[in-house]
Amino acid sequence: MSGRIRIDGVSIPFADGQTVMQAAEDAGVHIPHLCYHPDYAANGSCKLCTVAIDGWQTSSCTTKAVDGMVIESNTEELNSERRALTQMLFVEGNHHCPSCEASGNCKLQNQAYRLGMTALIFPDFTAGRATDATHPDILLNRDRCIYCELCVRASREADGKDIFCITGRSENKSLAINSDSGTLADSGLQVEDAAANVCPVGAIIKKRQGFRKPIGQRDYDERRVHHNKVRLPNLPKLDKAPGEKVSVATCSLAGCFGCHMSFLDIDERIIELTQRISFDRSPLNDIKHISGPVDIGLVEGGVCNTENIETLREFRDNCQVLIAVGACAMDGGVPALRNHLDVRDLLEESYINGRGIDSPQIPVDRELPYILEEVSPIHEVVKVDFFLPGCPPPAEAFWLILTDILDGRQPDLPYDLLRFD
Amino acid sequence: MSTENSSVAEEQLVKYRREPGMVLQMLRGIQLAQNFIGPGDIETLARSLNLPTTKIRALIDFYSFLHDQPRGRYAVYFSDSITDHMLGSRERAQQLCRALGVQLGKPDEKGLVTVALTSCTGLCERGPAVLVNGIAIDRIDEQRVTEMAGLIRQQVPLGDWPLEWFVINDALRRKGPLLDNDLRKGEAIERAIEIGSQQVIAELQASGLRGCGGAGFPTWRKWDICRGTSTEQRYVVCNADEGEPGTFKDRALLNTYSRHVFDGMTVCGVTVGASKGFIYLRHEYEFLREQLERRLQRRREINLLGRNILGHHGINFDIEIIMGAGAYVCGEESALIESMEGKRGIPRIRPPFPVTHGYNGRPTVVNNVETFAYATGIVARGPGFVAHDGEDPCWKLLSIAGDCRSPGIYEIPLGTSIRDVCEMCGADDVQAIQVGGPGGILISADELDRKVSFDDLNTAGSFIIFDSSRDMLEVALNFTHFFKHESCGFCTPCRVGTKLMQAMVDKIANGHGARVDIEQMQRLHHLMTRASHCGLGQRAAVPILTTYEKFPDSINDRVGDVDFKPAFDVEAAIERSKQIVAEETRS
Ligand SMILES: Cc1cc2nc3c(=O)[nH]c(=O)nc-3n(C[C@H](O)[C@H](O)[C@H](O)COP(=O)(O)O)c2cc1C
Ligand code: SF4
Ligand code: SF4
Ligand code: SF4
Repeated sequence: MSGRIRIDGVSIPFADGQTVMQAAEDAGVHIPHLCYHPDYAANGSCKLCTVAIDGWQTSSCTTKAVDGMVIESNTEELNSERRALTQMLFVEGNHHCPSCEASGNCKLQNQAYRLGMTALIFPDFTAGRATDATHPDILLNRDRCIYCELCVRASREADGKDIFCITGRSENKSLAINSDSGTLADSGLQVEDAAANVCPVGAIIKKRQGFRKPIGQRDYDERRVHHNKVRLPNLPKLDKAPGEKVSVATCSLAGCFGCHMSFLDIDERIIELTQRISFDRSPLNDIKHISGPVDIGLVEGGVCNTENIETLREFRDNCQVLIAVGACAMDGGVPALRNHLDVRDLLEESYINGRGIDSPQIPVDRELPYILEEVSPIHEVVKVDFFLPGCPPPAEAFWLILTDILDGRQPDLPYDLLRFD
Repeated sequence: MSTENSSVAEEQLVKYRREPGMVLQMLRGIQLAQNFIGPGDIETLARSLNLPTTKIRALIDFYSFLHDQPRGRYAVYFSDSITDHMLGSRERAQQLCRALGVQLGKPDEKGLVTVALTSCTGLCERGPAVLVNGIAIDRIDEQRVTEMAGLIRQQVPLGDWPLEWFVINDALRRKGPLLDNDLRKGEAIERAIEIGSQQVIAELQASGLRGCGGAGFPTWRKWDICRGTSTEQRYVVCNADEGEPGTFKDRALLNTYSRHVFDGMTVCGVTVGASKGFIYLRHEYEFLREQLERRLQRRREINLLGRNILGHHGINFDIEIIMGAGAYVCGEESALIESMEGKRGIPRIRPPFPVTHGYNGRPTVVNNVETFAYATGIVARGPGFVAHDGEDPCWKLLSIAGDCRSPGIYEIPLGTSIRDVCEMCGADDVQAIQVGGPGGILISADELDRKVSFDDLNTAGSFIIFDSSRDMLEVALNFTHFFKHESCGFCTPCRVGTKLMQAMVDKIANGHGARVDIEQMQRLHHLMTRASHCGLGQRAAVPILTTYEKFPDSINDRVGDVDFKPAFDVEAAIERSKQIVAEETRS
């Protein structure tokens, strides 16, 4: 049976046997998805393509089109559910985009951008799955696997090799390799195999190919991918008389100050800004403590020790609006790469075994803050009102957000200013 | 890599005719024989069945009762169902661990014993219950644990343990047409053959019988659809997975009324045109298996099964038992079929439904144990068999457990009020009742006038009563952990959602929760309900949110008047650092 269906009010045709997803793709209507691929049998597991058909929610990649179907897809409710699904996939694995070879070419990241995901909100699982680097040309980084099963399907359906296999259940689900050693080395996987090229994220990647394409030329960098602006979640309004200066405090916790540097990249516009804001505590003016109630707090960096917690609490207690700035504040970032190591190993590497260490000794001075077992994003410690992702966020994004707040507008970020790397 | 064949694996290969689809049954056989599946066993199976070893390992990793590490001579599992919990299962498990000097969930070094927890074992009215090497023992008290520890230490074979421990009785408390009947064995089959398929289906329709496994699909329609498919091969499957915590009526039916179940399956086979039936029996009911096999054999001898049943030429039907290996999701009919085919129990994409594309892709009727038993009565005696004065047609078996004087099985007319049920079972102090298991509905004492029926409180049988001494958050906590443990992991909302839910409920229970967590749970619940692939994920967040709705104090008392609390315990997070500083200062 062929016929027509309506997606968000647009009537599109479908051919005999097509699913809603296939009909939509053919007609150029985008329904977000991760595990769907036109060349392989539908899996229906990621659930991003969930749509409402005659009021009933279902995956569009597994639902056959029926003449006259009325489908809702691009609604705020469905998009916010999809956003939550991308957030769930981010916290389930280890998705530190700034250090990922797939960044800019990754479907998960792209969906997150398109859906306006700026924060992870859920607690991180700190996945610690085994990496397989045994193959001369291909690397499997399981921490980034989203279980779309595309490699499983591609290997079986296109390559006829059946190399990948899902094992376990619930949180112990895992991607296994069908080979004598259980690794890719003797699996027979080849660089040109469909299975080696189908991974939508940075889980199966080619060695020595990472970061080849410069930023700006990667698959999903350009505005041509998506023109819409991303409406960001509601920001509390500041309580200010017209003309009254807005006070801003900034700090860097476990971060690299890169976000601050990027902020300064707004260049001469900083002068315009200082006419409307005054700086309280900030590394920019070297004031060490917040003097009293502040309107906006910008926090860079994750939380790695007790001093970070104190600083963060000082900010939360005094700032009306608290903004997490950058990848580290958002998900722990580069410092969180240590989360799989024991604290003692860290300290010994830094103070005893590391290179160029004179009089090795783990410092025990009572004045020093204690190191936390894991580096955490700041929203796991205090309530955060707003997130500005990026590693670092572009200067333009700082400018936009701050001026929007000063002018009392709800911020909209253009697609190319929302980025995790 | 060893090339020697494992003899235990070889035995299983022979037993299951070297059919690759039977690999799960073989693995289970090996597990029960030696309490683990070794690399040699895996290789033998892989070679002989021409399967990659990874696929075999994938099964071991999926099913709770399969292990690739030795569990010792005795594998002891305490049921962690809320009903066992309320009867002290955790304390008994700890007592046994102490007595044997082992840690919960960890095999001991001497290869003697592993004491672990498992999801509901279906002995809720007679808990706390354990499984020892797959065999159930009920009513575990302090005394029994002490004796058990002695038997294990002295390595007494299970066959020499006190016999009375293994006698599992059915507490049949209230009998209706099914539990109290004078049906002759085979009577329904005779009549089905006599009146013909169309009439069988018409009588089922007239009776109003709907599926007793939870979904309540009209039984006549399922049979009719299957019958109408154009194919040579159809199947009948009896869903005896009974995994919903608090349910144990299928266990009693298979124990005492198995002839009605077998008759019903055969009637179904005759009606839809299937010559093969399967009973998918949950691993926990291993203790029923042998007697069921014996009874099936006996039926073959008297021509109630096999070729030309009761002398009717061309009417062939046989029944085979397939065992589960520990996965609640395998009660979902399409996951059950995957499991029957020897795969991981992942629910299929539906439609198509099993009734047109089921076992081996063939049309398959999947019905609950109880559904088949009632069908037997209806087909033998007509729709009047299940008639009663009330408005809702048919009867229902309830498995009542928890805080009441007489837990057990009650056959009630559908439409009976909760108040009447409470009276029957002697529940006079009711704080709450969970109707339909963790995935069902929690009601408070204000709702006793509601009814057990498909339109109001639907239940596959589970009915758990909580008196005023119970902490309702503990109950929700138990259910939330259950769902996370049992999620098959296929789809994102459930796999990640159940884990997040568990983290948030734990956080609240530990006194670290805040209002933001409750809001978060509400949002997540919405998503899980609307986007999950099967009923498990759709219902997994219901317990905690209904608890919040109906017993807000159980949560608010823990949360207090706080908007936000950190996701982790800051003090605990610096313990390690403090310890290192202390060590360094000393040295
Ligand atoms: C997670 C899940 C678990 C289930 N467990 C069982 C079960 O243990 N026993 C059962 O009969 N039905 C169970 N069901 C319902 C079955 O999918 C199916 O509806 C039922 O076996 C059909 O038989 P009926 O029509 O006789 O009820 C479960 C469903 C879900 C979603
Ligand atoms: S770019 Fe890499 S880290 Fe970022 S979402 Fe994709 S796979 Fe994950
Ligand atoms: S490795 Fe990549 S393609 Fe394979 S399941 Fe994981 S995310 Fe999907
Ligand atoms: S809802 Fe849960 S149990 Fe059901 S398919 Fe999804 S992950 Fe598996």
